[in-house]
Amino acid sequence: MGWLANKEKRSFAIQLSLALILIAVSYIIVQNVRENLSAVGIRVDFGFLSGEAGFDVNESLIAYSAADSYGRVLLVGLLNTLELSVLCIFGSTLVGVVMGIVRAGNNWLGSRLALAYVELFRNLPKLLILLAVFVVMVNQLPVVRHAWDLSGGIYISNRAMYFPVLIWADGMSFLLLGILAWVPAVFFWGRYVSRHQDLTGKRLPVAWPVAGSFLFIVFFVSVLFGIPYQFSIPVLERFDFVGGGRLSVQFVALAVTLSIYHGGQITELVRGGIQSVSASQIEAANALGLRQGQITRLVLLPQALRMIIPPMGNQYLNLVKNTSIGLAIGYSDLVSVMSTSINQTFRPIELMSITMMTYLAISLVVTALLNWFNARTRIIGN
Amino acid sequence: MNTDKPHTVMPPKPSFSVTNWARINLFSNFFNSVVTISVVLFLLWIVPAVFSWMFINAVGFGGDEALCRSAEGACWPFMREKARLILFGTYPYDEQWRAALASLIVIGLVAILMLKRLSVRMMILLWVGGGALFVGLMLGNVMGLPAVQTVQWNGLPVFLLLAVFSLAAAFPLGVVLALARFQNQHLLLRSLATGYIELIRGVPLLTVLFMGLFILPMIMPQGFFIEPLFAILIALMLFHAAYIAEDIRGGLQVLPRGQFEAADSLGLKYRYQVLLVILPQALKKALPAIFNTLIGGYKDTSLVVIVGIHDMLSTAKMAYSDPGWQKYGLEAYFFVGLWYFISCWCLSAYGRRLERAV
Repeated sequence: MGWLANKEKRSFAIQLSLALILIAVSYIIVQNVRENLSAVGIRVDFGFLSGEAGFDVNESLIAYSAADSYGRVLLVGLLNTLELSVLCIFGSTLVGVVMGIVRAGNNWLGSRLALAYVELFRNLPKLLILLAVFVVMVNQLPVVRHAWDLSGGIYISNRAMYFPVLIWADGMSFLLLGILAWVPAVFFWGRYVSRHQDLTGKRLPVAWPVAGSFLFIVFFVSVLFGIPYQFSIPVLERFDFVGGGRLSVQFVALAVTLSIYHGGQITELVRGGIQSVSASQIEAANALGLRQGQITRLVLLPQALRMIIPPMGNQYLNLVKNTSIGLAIGYSDLVSVMSTSINQTFRPIELMSITMMTYLAISLVVTALLNWFNARTRIIGN
Repeated sequence: MNTDKPHTVMPPKPSFSVTNWARINLFSNFFNSVVTISVVLFLLWIVPAVFSWMFINAVGFGGDEALCRSAEGACWPFMREKARLILFGTYPYDEQWRAALASLIVIGLVAILMLKRLSVRMMILLWVGGGALFVGLMLGNVMGLPAVQTVQWNGLPVFLLLAVFSLAAAFPLGVVLALARFQNQHLLLRSLATGYIELIRGVPLLTVLFMGLFILPMIMPQGFFIEPLFAILIALMLFHAAYIAEDIRGGLQVLPRGQFEAADSLGLKYRYQVLLVILPQALKKALPAIFNTLIGGYKDTSLVVIVGIHDMLSTAKMAYSDPGWQKYGLEAYFFVGLWYFISCWCLSAYGRRLERAV
């Protein structure tokens, strides 16, 4: 066996045997799965996706009824997951940034309170918080008939939160087009302002042209197409509210829980980022005569953000995955509809692979965005 | 020549006064004042609310269910009545001392490993011995103990079994995965490890638990049955291993190249390079990240309740599903939360101490 002393040959031998083992194991697995499936008389087949799902979901962003297909109910679940994720990303970021700034600041009371908040939610499981929040909401909020009236057409009951929504009118697509055109215009105006400042040293106004142009577009298009701006307002009928929009109590409990839970972790990230900027940077900025707002915007934030953004991306990814705990309180997210579908069809292989691939795709997209951002903000020379 | 000491003027001693302290720490500028006022308003709302729920409007431990029905605050008799149900669930009532003893064995095992420095061989011995003792006690059918099915295992022992043993078993697997992903001699091995780690990290824990429940029995040979509890244990282990592997790889990456080259030039075999030079340093660097993962994994074990394993969140629900006690869900979760809070706090305190010690 002298040839094993050669590093390359040994490596080749190891890899070859590994490959053989891998092939053997996968062969056995496939055989076992085939036998187990044929024992219950089914085989791997995605055809069931077009079959009738037959179960209802408690909320959906697209039209859905129990007569729709399994494919459609999975799409409903995915959209619910994404809706909840987006809301919680905003919520947790807001909570985390505010608490992080307070935590890193020199307010003794605020800093202590932020510390207590972080420690409390770091040491409790998210599922426990969710169940406690849900129990409290269901027990303490009034039944639909006696829903709290928060005025302005907003009602809260222990089944759902009801609120007015804007009724879609004909001219609104033009309004959306106008706003879509406004976004790049703002972007180019910003680029022009900074180039102009580099060349001449004069800073052109930014705030009022941006806000003014927006208001002008909204006003102009509204008048031109006569957009009515009518709201659909929820009204209490015999058993439930009719009209308006609604968010189920499950959705609200999840949104509150995940925003607070991840908000606590983001607080620590923000604190770390702010404290990583050395004090001499702030002193130097003070010595240059920058104002407090300018120091924050031009010196502190750009350096702190570079520390904060990468772990923040991971935090968002975790958040998207954590929305799956909604299954515990019956929110119809992707994992929840997957679980119901598995119980009905007993097709775990097909349904689980669809679900896992979907989550992997979301992860890959977010990771790619994150890498792109990191590459852009990397300090050259470091 | 002037030999006098230079005359120095010391700054005036700051005199402490409450108003001064408040001006500096609470009202130094507009933003600070806003924060202070909102915090005070928040505290004025939350502290009396919590205090009256826990004490003033609550029914004490001595009370009974009838008293609770008219009270607005917490119902502590619920705890007295239901603590045992939350801890051990539907484990046969007369045999619950076994569940208690088994839980104590696991807690003691963890405590010994935290407090004593043991050789690796001793650790493996303890883990295997403790695990065998735990399963023997819980399962029974040995030494005259009546048999108890795993479906009757509930509450604390189930949680400890899943949390502690899955994390302990995930650790060696994580080390192997990290080393496999870190090297670049065996490309097939590396891409397998990378693929596995990224796959697991890309999906929620819940889907991995469902894999354990549905797919694991399917890839077993026909006629081979795996208890859901142990299927979930394996799924948890496979899940945590990927995260631990990434933490350790982080530690490996920050090691200077020279360490590897020095180990190489000493003529050490790969095995000894890793065990004696690389791993001790990499683990030290990775310690904070590993503890984060351990605590996160410990907390996330609670998710098993969703796939039908009865840990404490499930027994808590049993406790407040009883007729007559249905209003006291919050008390039940408060009890479970206390357990989590204290144990997580101990874990992170130990982690911080370990970081300082190494």
